Amino acid sequence: MNRRYVVRRLLQVLPAVASILIVTFAVVHAAPGDPVVAVAGESGNEEYYAFMREKFGLDRPVYEQFWTYTTNVLRGDLGVSFVQGQEVVDLILERVPATLLLMGTALLVSTVGGVTLGALAARRPFGPFDLGVSTGALVGYALPSFWLAQLAMLTIAFRTGWFPIQGMTDARADYTGLAHYLDVARHLVLPSLVLAASEVALITRIARTGILAEMDSDYVRVAQAKGLSPTGALMHHALRNALLPVVTVVGTRIGFLFSGAVLVETVFGWPGLGRLVLSAAQTRDHPLLLGMVLLVAFSLVLSNLITDLLYARVDPRIRYR
Amino acid sequence: MSIPVSATAEAGAGAPAPGALPGAPVAGDAPGAPHRWRATVRRFLRHPAGFTGLLLTLVVVVAGLLADVISPGDPFRTVGDPLLAPSATHFFGTDNLGRDVFDAVIHGARTSMIVVLGVSAIASVIGLAVGIIAGYRGGWIDDLLMRITELFQSVPRFFLVLLIVALFGAGLDNLIYVLAFTSWPTLARVSRAEVLSVRDRDYVEAARSIGATDRRIVLRHVLPNVLPTAMVIIALTGSRIILLEASLSFLGLGDPSLMSWGYLVSNAQRFLRTAWWMSVFPGAAIAISVLGINLMSDALNDVLAAYSQKRGKRRRRLGRRPTPTVLPA
Amino acid sequence: MKKQLTAVALALMFVASACASDDGGGDAAPDAQSGPTTTVAPARGGTLVVAIGSDPGSLNPAVTSNGGVHTASEMMFNGLVGWGTDGKLVPELAESWTIEGGGTSYRFNLRQNVKWHDGRPFTADDVKFTFERALLRLHSRTQASVGTAQPTIETPDQNTVIFRFANPYAPLLQQLNVTEAPIIPKHVYEGCTDLATVAGCPANKTPVGTGPFKLESYTIQEIKMVRNPDYFRPGLPYLDGMTQRVIPDPGTQLLALENREIDWVGSVPGPDIERVKANRALGTATAPRGSGGGNCTLTGVFNMRPPAGRPGFFTELRTRQAFWHAVDRQQAFRTVSFSQGKVAQAPINSGIGFASATGLNLPNFDQNRARQLLDQVGWKDEGGGARVARNVPNVPDGTRFEVDWHGFAGDQTTYGEQLRGQLAAVGITLQVKTEDNATFSRNVFNQREFDTAVVSYCNGDDPDIGFRRQVDSRQISTTAFTNGAGYSNPDVDRLLDQATREPDPAKRTPIYRQLQEQLVRDLPYLWLTESAGLRAFSTNCTGFNHENTGLFAEAASCRK
Repeated sequence: MNRRYVVRRLLQVLPAVASILIVTFAVVHAAPGDPVVAVAGESGNEEYYAFMREKFGLDRPVYEQFWTYTTNVLRGDLGVSFVQGQEVVDLILERVPATLLLMGTALLVSTVGGVTLGALAARRPFGPFDLGVSTGALVGYALPSFWLAQLAMLTIAFRTGWFPIQGMTDARADYTGLAHYLDVARHLVLPSLVLAASEVALITRIARTGILAEMDSDYVRVAQAKGLSPTGALMHHALRNALLPVVTVVGTRIGFLFSGAVLVETVFGWPGLGRLVLSAAQTRDHPLLLGMVLLVAFSLVLSNLITDLLYARVDPRIRYR
Repeated sequence: MSIPVSATAEAGAGAPAPGALPGAPVAGDAPGAPHRWRATVRRFLRHPAGFTGLLLTLVVVVAGLLADVISPGDPFRTVGDPLLAPSATHFFGTDNLGRDVFDAVIHGARTSMIVVLGVSAIASVIGLAVGIIAGYRGGWIDDLLMRITELFQSVPRFFLVLLIVALFGAGLDNLIYVLAFTSWPTLARVSRAEVLSVRDRDYVEAARSIGATDRRIVLRHVLPNVLPTAMVIIALTGSRIILLEASLSFLGLGDPSLMSWGYLVSNAQRFLRTAWWMSVFPGAAIAISVLGINLMSDALNDVLAAYSQKRGKRRRRLGRRPTPTVLPA
Repeated sequence: MKKQLTAVALALMFVASACASDDGGGDAAPDAQSGPTTTVAPARGGTLVVAIGSDPGSLNPAVTSNGGVHTASEMMFNGLVGWGTDGKLVPELAESWTIEGGGTSYRFNLRQNVKWHDGRPFTADDVKFTFERALLRLHSRTQASVGTAQPTIETPDQNTVIFRFANPYAPLLQQLNVTEAPIIPKHVYEGCTDLATVAGCPANKTPVGTGPFKLESYTIQEIKMVRNPDYFRPGLPYLDGMTQRVIPDPGTQLLALENREIDWVGSVPGPDIERVKANRALGTATAPRGSGGGNCTLTGVFNMRPPAGRPGFFTELRTRQAFWHAVDRQQAFRTVSFSQGKVAQAPINSGIGFASATGLNLPNFDQNRARQLLDQVGWKDEGGGARVARNVPNVPDGTRFEVDWHGFAGDQTTYGEQLRGQLAAVGITLQVKTEDNATFSRNVFNQREFDTAVVSYCNGDDPDIGFRRQVDSRQISTTAFTNGAGYSNPDVDRLLDQATREPDPAKRTPIYRQLQEQLVRDLPYLWLTESAGLRAFSTNCTGFNHENTGLFAEAASCRK
């Protein structure tokens, strides 16, 4: 991996962060009404507004306010949520692990599942399995996740009784150690499957396309001409190279996964950011909503960075032009 | 400067066409001749996915346009007993307040259409303009416009919409503006990429040498080559917008005076076991419109790729250079 | 085309499985109302899991009348006097009491050797502190009823509390249970700068009470409580612990109950009531009072006192009458409340037998009459939906009759949506606004920026507790859930005072009747429905006290 590339790519983070700060600041200050309310939310008493006014320097000129805002954000200080009575950063960080667990599992499931399905479909292109998978993928993508969640809860959870309907842990028992992990895993199944449903579509198609393209390329044909079976060709050559675009795409889906997680969590009662975001939106808790925007935006910057570096590492043909 | 593939900040619509590889530009590479529209359209109609997609989308569009004709009156009014199963009088049954679900779904189509058309119109104009100007002019204009594009692309759309709804209120116009302003960057990037690949073609060079103005060149040569790919992106964005609007209404943050599919699904949640029709029909409507648009854009992509393959060299590249052609935000 | 077929097939699959019935009817189970505990030697142990709708944010029930906070926290506290399983008053933190001076003085002898969860002793100072610093200032029902009688609280010794009133005050005892007056420890809360918020009082998240359960942990997902081994009632509680699980969606709560993940649901959603009653694995009970208070009437509020700059849509009596006539309360009751409870027949909830009235002349459903009245007032129908004001007092000419309706999520906004359709037929456009507690309180009570709103006014067991604050002109304040209409009638105030001071219940009835007749003439509110919630619980658990909602599980036990 080219060192210059790494350095230049890292430097690109700066304008991204700057844009995020500029856009969020502009949005909050363009809001109609009292600027304190725009920054601090609509519920609040005099003391609280005074506190927030002080913290964000709302009496100062705009450029000073922007500087204060930037330093606050980079220090991780977003003020206090009046409705919840806690620091915004604390509120968010408390719930991030549960949401990350859900997103991570969904990502894993959809990637592994997608690649497998894509590979199987690629073995017989346009055959019945392939068409079935493609259709299923398209439909899975088109179904809204909250609807799918409702249906899954009703048809699978409730009828079969194999999976719990809500929450992250069993309400009665107090598991520890391995039993606890298994308990969480059981609770994780349905929400992560629903969340993975839309992602699988995309990954399956990319994997399938990528594999087919690789199978068609010269070096694979040569290998097959020399006696390697189609399955062997797929497994040893095509798959590996087709994984690159998959990895790329996965990195770009983080934002989508966040929003999907919010929706799925509200239906399944998963104790993550979902509920927090929902109540923040309903109570017009602006600092909390802003915190969420920043969190997701910075996560995207990070995941894009990782994806790019990973890609550059794996594919020696990449040169930064 | 190459555009790292991950620069699409929040991926949205997603499903790329079966024929499209993440690295391969899609269309407009045919050396020499400008685009043939009629052939493309014919091909498109013969493509099974294209035809199906078009059909599904037309159903939704017609429903939306003729909402007041098919289902006259206020969809929010009570027309019968609550929780009636689908029947000849109420095709999709009635909901918990005795409102006709069919009427509600039809009016929901109108809301979705308004949002999609509004967003697409605004985003297309801005995206195309920025992309074409940046690609054609190059130089510092290009750099500046690309910086501006990155600015708008950096913030996650869903959460930004939540913040904006809280700050500015939950009206339809706010929604359309926000979605439009976060959707044009991808289009700008893609159009710019297309313009870059067309800009130095022989026929453009030729046109310039006989004294054609920039404007003429852009309109006659550049634009027709950019449009097909742009349409694919616009379609994919549109399907993503439908899902976004439904999600917001599901969370109770949509425009409360307009009937919306997301609102219907949200309202139906309590009645899932007693009145399945309240959830199934609106949910299916969302799925059908998203599916239809995606099928159409898939087919379009297919057709354009096949067309360029037929006319020009076969597109075989061993190296995959990352460009975000078919991964719009 | 194949893709199409597959998609359709998938959709059909979902439909089919969703609509097949699950607990196939069978014969209706005998009414499994678990009443007072009758089992022999209830088993000790087990955990009761209760569903709550949202994270309450705070666990101090003395500083708010918010139902969510109360449901989550009442089990950790006690009141002075409680409700027995037979609906009669029983001693709780007060062992005995005497009423002196014809109702002007109440003396309570407190139970001795009661300890707070942190081991410190409970004394009369705690009672005084709770009333003076918390209840009388921040609990809206206490403020509005006991508060207006302005008691002085004396503590002659550590085990005695005396409430003294200037005039005889009849309904004190009914307001001393854990829902209306939970007692909090002085030594924990006296240092707080602002008892009402978590920021000003961190102890609100780590409550210390005297109740049968004490807090073990409070996370986003649930509130875990364990048995208080030093509880003053010997042998109780039987349960090892009680967990309150946050499940925002009522349908999911019910599913979880039926799936045996939880044991108790406080309010069964209307559409599921029939099925739940038929389910033999579940018991049901209608509770006379909930943790938000009892005898609740869902009430539409007319803003009769809008702030400057806002049109006075409802300052005219005939407009309010027209609104009443335009609305079909019976139909709304059927579709929104699923016929649970009753359509309100009087301003005072019929659960308060001696005070409520029947045969009052409430406006009937008559849309023609509504249109007539609106025309008379000056609201002209000029085509185009909403009527336009021409010469309407307090409304600028040309204003359209477009008003808002504020309410909490759930039945309240559903009522709004139901009424919206009915009102559209007479030329009134209603816009329903769903709000959370804080926003609602601010818009409606604090700033009065609203046209109509809906509030569930819980009357309690005496009109003085929860009804008075609706119509007493001295209760027009910025505190939430007081006189939202801004209604002021000196005759009504006089009658209210008279009734409160009258010690003989028989003599109070005609006073309340007169009062209600006046209210029916003035129509400051739209009394919609007397709501009745249905609780459902697993038959694995018994021993619930449905009369005392706050401590319903005090003597409960669950099979493991």
